[in-house]
Amino acid sequence: MISCTEFIPAYSELFKFLEAQGGKEAVVRFWEDLSDKFLTNLHDLTATKGLAGCFEYWSHSLTEEAADFRMTLDEKKGTFEIEMRHCPSRGRLNELKHIEPYEHYCEHCDVLYRRVLEPFGFKYNIDLSTCKDATCKLTVIQQPARGENE
Amino acid sequence: MLDPDQGLRVLDCKATDHEYLHKDFHGALCYGIKYLDDHFGPEATTAYLRQVGRSYFAPLSQQLRDEGLAALEKHWREIFTKEGGAFSLEIQDGVLTLTVHNCPAIAHLKRINQLFTPRFCETTVVVNETVCGEAGYKCSCHYEPGEGRCVQKFWKEKE
Repeated sequence: MISCTEFIPAYSELFKFLEAQGGKEAVVRFWEDLSDKFLTNLHDLTATKGLAGCFEYWSHSLTEEAADFRMTLDEKKGTFEIEMRHCPSRGRLNELKHIEPYEHYCEHCDVLYRRVLEPFGFKYNIDLSTCKDATCKLTVIQQPARGENE
Repeated sequence: MLDPDQGLRVLDCKATDHEYLHKDFHGALCYGIKYLDDHFGPEATTAYLRQVGRSYFAPLSQQLRDEGLAALEKHWREIFTKEGGAFSLEIQDGVLTLTVHNCPAIAHLKRINQLFTPRFCETTVVVNETVCGEAGYKCSCHYEPGEGRCVQKFWKEKE
């Protein structure tokens, strides 16, 4: 058994393997497929609870991953944010001395979650400019319904 | 969390607040195996798992070379204990036997309905073979797909 505590390096190696097979396009196709078939829990929570579903989804995953973060849901403003102060996945990859992280590792968080959330009409943004230092900021905004603010 | 009645909720956590144990990762790995099988064929899946064995698990191979079967025994005890699996370990006559009575990965995948492929346990078979092969050891793994039970054996290759 590859332990779930050993998954992240195996995941990073999978991205490298796919890139060797078919370039970065092959990696992105995998992320898209994984988003569609694996992230059904995020999809279902968002479908039933909106941004509160995002809060519930990441409350579960980020605490189990022992992340260092601040997550804010403001339902009046229609915003959900994660300020990741130390990403446990990228942090673990950075700590490993005997293997290099996949070059575009952090981009999976852009593809996977954008693909789930944008079809619900949310504006999704993730700032990955400092992701190699294991920090990032994710923002999901409820866009005004058509006709509002016009 | 603050003012849930006002629609404002905040969760602020330090890394030390929780234990690192996110079993849903088993689902992502299981899906990865199915994806490779479906899009590139089982030979590619094997090649990928060998890559994982040679790269990420290289320190374990080194420990196996240096310390013998005790290194593997320690490795299995740590991860199966952390994940709450039911297992036993025994070294007898130069053979380490790991008997998994209830695999925590399979149990979790079944619980969340994400046992995407019966070939998930090939991760164990191929990674074990690679880690052992790199260290001059042999191994076997007998399992029924999806049952969550297996018997793994490890021994030093004859010189």
